[in-house]
Amino acid sequence: MNQVEQKFTWKRALLYACLLLVAVVQIFPLIWLVDFSLGSSNEMFTNGLLIIPEKIRWDNYVTAFVDGHFLHYLKNSILVNVTAVVFVIAISILAAFAVTRMKWKLQGFVKTLLLMGMMIPIHATLLPNYVIYDKLGLTDSFWALLIPYVAFSLPQGLFLTCSFMDSIPKELEEAAIMDGCSIYRIIGTVITPLMKSSMATVAIMTFLNNWNEFMMASTYLSSNKWKTLPFSILEFTGQYSSNYAVQFAVMALTAMPAVVVYVLLNKYITKGVAMGAVKG
Amino acid sequence: MRKIYSNKRVILTLILPGLLTFLLAILAPICLSIYYSFTDFSGMGEAVFNGLDNYKAMFQDTGFWVSLRNSLLLAIGFICIQHPLALITAAILDKMQNKAEGFFRCVYFIPNVISVAVIAYLWKFIYNPNFGLLNNILKLFGFEGNVNWLGSGSAIWSVLVVLIWHGFGWGMLIYYTGIKNIDPVLYEAAAIDGATGKEAFMKITLPLMKPVIQVNVTMAVISALKQMETVYLLTNGGPGDQTQFMANYLYKQAFNSFKYGYGNTISVAFIVICLLATVLLNRIFKEKDA
Repeated sequence: MNQVEQKFTWKRALLYACLLLVAVVQIFPLIWLVDFSLGSSNEMFTNGLLIIPEKIRWDNYVTAFVDGHFLHYLKNSILVNVTAVVFVIAISILAAFAVTRMKWKLQGFVKTLLLMGMMIPIHATLLPNYVIYDKLGLTDSFWALLIPYVAFSLPQGLFLTCSFMDSIPKELEEAAIMDGCSIYRIIGTVITPLMKSSMATVAIMTFLNNWNEFMMASTYLSSNKWKTLPFSILEFTGQYSSNYAVQFAVMALTAMPAVVVYVLLNKYITKGVAMGAVKG
Repeated sequence: MRKIYSNKRVILTLILPGLLTFLLAILAPICLSIYYSFTDFSGMGEAVFNGLDNYKAMFQDTGFWVSLRNSLLLAIGFICIQHPLALITAAILDKMQNKAEGFFRCVYFIPNVISVAVIAYLWKFIYNPNFGLLNNILKLFGFEGNVNWLGSGSAIWSVLVVLIWHGFGWGMLIYYTGIKNIDPVLYEAAAIDGATGKEAFMKITLPLMKPVIQVNVTMAVISALKQMETVYLLTNGGPGDQTQFMANYLYKQAFNSFKYGYGNTISVAFIVICLLATVLLNRIFKEKDA
């Protein structure tokens, strides 16, 4: 079968052409971005699609890196996202155990309630949350980002964790209970080690949800202290409004971490998204 | 054993972190939003109840209806343009069965991992009337190439193109996974019976993909309703309110026009519309299945 398919046919070539066309549409804007970021601003006023820079201007990237406070924003992004992922995974596992394994009256109701969060549009809470964080003195703090990031990734995380937990046989934990293990120890030493692929999926989905988040960060934060990577661009376009090449460089630089991680972990992320989507 | 599983204190400690997060970070703001939606709060000073005034105003507010119309346009764009293309691309990709498959899959998804801030600013440049990529492409084909893409009239279409382009990879990936789950034996049997690729797609892929398509379409409609960030950065609803979307509109009302109470009214309507759309779509698809 495979041998037949590998043979050259016009039909196959046509299919390839279709795929290539879609690929060009999807990726060309980014190639254009990188291309122009390596030239000088004057070179942009060309009639061609791409430019061959007279001299490759790596210094655009140096400016972007230094004046865009790239490392500072990157550090914030990593910090808040990793913390959010840890919280989402931990809370999901605890809550999933409570609603799938434990026996109590309201378990169905509470599960539905928590999963309802998936249907709530995140931006509908921008206005009230702003007032709440303001009253609590949380604006411009790490918590103002962490709380909503955790809260809005939790329903999906819980959903995935519940469906994974349902597929783990109960016999294992029952044996542990016979040996006198407490529920907490069972979750820590029996369940969690079995949930690795589920945790990876939840982590990927949470990252994809929050890494590029911009609206909440822009609303709840006022100073640069905790702002995340997207702000590198915003701050920069104001500062270098006429130097387009440097603006292109800062955009390419900001996009880079996520793209590099994606290309490296492409297989796992694809699997994670697929699992998340199929279960979701 | 049952006793251990129904220990109230253990249950409470397990569920409390999740429940508190939900109550404090999702439910409480919504309740507060409902409260403010009945006031004329401006963001400062005192909030005075004004009954249903805000809701009455909302029904007569063209900005609100334009936002809703744009969301529907986007949903139609997703369903009629993005999803058929994504499904066909996924089906073709599935037939490749070599290295190219992984490569294309990776390339298609890349725009999805890029920050909306980059996407929005990048497209601003692509649409730039002076040196933008799009006008240069037009010039290449002999047109004048001086279109003001984000100007009055064409702006909403330009915004839709960006959103359809950006979400393509996500839809494609989900269809692709769905197609991968179809038993290849079916295709082999069809090939033996002499079915062409097109016939196999119509008679095997499409019917078996129905549940995936339904889920994907539901998610697309919801995401069209929820759209905010790209629009906020690309046009902020302008020119006028031509490219306004609900989330962006309520934000603008609260923080730019200082109608915080009214912004919350739109927030409440926004939540209701999203919930209704979810319920409605689920019902439509369930009835069709029955």
